[in-house]
Amino acid sequence: MVTIHPMSISTLNSYRPKLCTLPRSGNRPPRTTRYKVFAKTPTFAVLSDPHVLRLAETLEDSITSSSSSASPPPPLQKLRDISSQSLLSTPWPTRKDEPFRFTDTSFIKNSDIQPIPPSSTQSVASLSVLADNLFPSLTIVDGYLADSLSQLSELPDGVFVGALSRLSSENIMEKVSKYVSSFQGDLFWSLNGVGAPDVIVVYVPEGCKVESPLHLRFLSLDGSDKDSKTLPISNPRVLVLVEKGGEISIVEEYTDGDGSDRCYWTNSVMEVVIGDGAKVSHSYIQTQSLGAAHVKWTSVRQESTSVYKFAEVSTGGKLSRHNVHVQQVGPDTVTELSTFHLSVGDQLQDLHSKLVFDHPRGFSRQLHKCIVAHSLGQAVFDGNVQVNRDAQQTDAGQLTRSLLLEPRATVNVKPNLQIIADDVKCSHGAAISDLEENQLFYFQARGIDLEVARRALIFSFAAEVIESIPETSVQKKVQSLIKDLLDPALASREEKK
Amino acid sequence: MALFTPSFSCRIPTSTSPQRHRFLLSHRTFAPRATLAVETPSSSTADHGGAPKLLLEVKDLTAIIAESKQPILKGVNLTVHEGEVHAVMGKNGSGKSTFAKVLVGHPDYEITGGSVTYKGQDLLEMEPEERAVAGLFMSFQSPVEIPGVSNIDFLNMAYNAQRRKLGLPELGPIEFYGYVAPKLEIVNMKVDFLNRNVNEGFSGGEKKRNEILQLAVLGAELAILDEIDSGLDVDALRDVAKAVNGLLTPKNSENGRIVKTGDISIAEILEKEGYKAISGI
Ligand SMILES: Nc1ncnc2c1ncn2[C@@H]1O[C@H](COP(=O)(O)OP(=O)(O)O)[C@@H](O)[C@H]1O
Ligand SMILES: [Mg+2]
Repeated sequence: MVTIHPMSISTLNSYRPKLCTLPRSGNRPPRTTRYKVFAKTPTFAVLSDPHVLRLAETLEDSITSSSSSASPPPPLQKLRDISSQSLLSTPWPTRKDEPFRFTDTSFIKNSDIQPIPPSSTQSVASLSVLADNLFPSLTIVDGYLADSLSQLSELPDGVFVGALSRLSSENIMEKVSKYVSSFQGDLFWSLNGVGAPDVIVVYVPEGCKVESPLHLRFLSLDGSDKDSKTLPISNPRVLVLVEKGGEISIVEEYTDGDGSDRCYWTNSVMEVVIGDGAKVSHSYIQTQSLGAAHVKWTSVRQESTSVYKFAEVSTGGKLSRHNVHVQQVGPDTVTELSTFHLSVGDQLQDLHSKLVFDHPRGFSRQLHKCIVAHSLGQAVFDGNVQVNRDAQQTDAGQLTRSLLLEPRATVNVKPNLQIIADDVKCSHGAAISDLEENQLFYFQARGIDLEVARRALIFSFAAEVIESIPETSVQKKVQSLIKDLLDPALASREEKK
Repeated sequence: MALFTPSFSCRIPTSTSPQRHRFLLSHRTFAPRATLAVETPSSSTADHGGAPKLLLEVKDLTAIIAESKQPILKGVNLTVHEGEVHAVMGKNGSGKSTFAKVLVGHPDYEITGGSVTYKGQDLLEMEPEERAVAGLFMSFQSPVEIPGVSNIDFLNMAYNAQRRKLGLPELGPIEFYGYVAPKLEIVNMKVDFLNRNVNEGFSGGEKKRNEILQLAVLGAELAILDEIDSGLDVDALRDVAKAVNGLLTPKNSENGRIVKTGDISIAEILEKEGYKAISGI
């Protein structure tokens, strides 16, 4: 067994000693367990966390009071049961738990978390922000499906996109049952399972190729004042099921609609099941308010010869945490992950990814880039790639690059390969860097001044990730979004000089 | 390893010089290889009587590598007048590229002595970008790749920097496209060349063509072409040579001057016998 341990943090530190505050140096032993229960007490002795139980109860109450009299569809009931069961033994994570070592969630914990009731979303019917929609789309406001803002006419026969509670096909219901919560995540995953009012189902039948991309737009409208302790929570949940040979492209977008810094908590989960030879392209754009907490799970299960291409751009949230878990459950499977995180304010962007190979000839390419452009900004990347015994001839590549534009801006990077199979090709690289001198000079040598050159290079930093989004219109939108965020950040930086 | 120690300054008066110079020729030292023939403009300012204007004067220039403090240039002298074509030669690693990069202000090197005057100004006091907009152009031996920045955006930025300096309105992307598209012919490239990222994934020949395209778009009063001919196949070499010659003629650019740097070990000959050793070609 070969365990390639993360490039030691002290090595990374040497790139820019003054700019990254990386807590501990020195070598720690290789990690092979997925979740390390912080071990003063043995695992079996973990007791119920009263805080978690209270929150779970609040969520459960809100579900019963808001839902109609009819009992929930069986898969939803099952989800709720499993989730509340696991909450009984899941404490609120602390910095002592490895997955949260660099991510402080106490801001959420210390807030007065209030489930958003469906009634407060009625006023949105008149929203015009959504007029620009070109794709078939579904709009979810504060966790609730908003029919009046959705438009699904162009979908082919046999495709189902909508709420589980309104799913009439027994065939699809059966399949949903099989996969809903087939995976176990962390506390936030389970809180979502208890608090989700419904499940949005996207079902693509065998061999069906959905031509136009499906736009899932999650709007956060309810929010509290910056100074209030109240934190309204929504728990959207999506299950994407693509049968053998099916194809779909999904654009998943989270936004607050008005660019304020209101506080709310979106705690979202998406499960994706990709059948044999099926293809899913998934773009995820997160531009929540700078006062928000945004916790998101993406769990993907890929059967043989399937292809999953994921592109993420996250710029919003005071605290944004994305857990991506991809499991290859058949041979010859292709996974591509390209992600870009931007912190222009006092905010934390966190990506925890895990890719598990269990079958021969798996292929993966992962690229993670982040820019921290604020002295209180922070970025975290933990990229785990696990190549198990039967996954011979796996070809896995991972690359991460971080750009720190302010003194004291922080990034914690932990590329992490665990390889058990012996015939594999794995590569990884991590760099925390400033802009390339040679590139800057090339601009200057052609008469372009240093600040213009710096800007051009900073904007180009995310280009590779943005170019991996299949829809040109989304690419353009993201480009201008990033430009709008970076422009003022860079301007204030120049003033200080 | 004082390489530019022998000061050599070659002035080629148009009236008496042959129409074609092959600089990199020698009976013993040089393996036969393709070389860039540079034609001296048949008419230039030098023809209109009066001494040609002094363009660049390098005196006793010494430079070290900024990081390691290792000396590279140990007293270089070079004088270039308008209308002249120079070849700077020396074996691999002798410091030709360093000399070129020092002239355009590369931050890897520190000047430790000597002076450089360009058009009457102290060149060493100028920022790299000021040198560029003042008409000093260097084509890089190995141009860097810039992912995420398209060739046309890059050229547009550079062109606008120059326009700003001249007090002219900047060109928007569409106007600029109109200006740049015809220039592609000069380097025999297709339009999609403009949409690719700067030098990213370019072949050796494409990189060199791209350097010449930049020269064609931006123009120059003094162009330093660092190994513009090396690593090119016959076709690319022909295209690049043609492009450079085209840029040299007064019709395409008002003043063409080429300082050619090669990688041939002639420094020793120069050291022993001075410029006369090669001037009889
Ligand atoms: N930035 C640098 N860092 C370290 N060494 C350098 C650097 N630039 C040049 N050198 C060294 O200086 C010498 C001269 O290099 P160069 O100018 O490229 O030579 P030439 O172009 O004549 O082949 C070589 O030994 C080269 O390795
Ligand atoms: Mg050289």
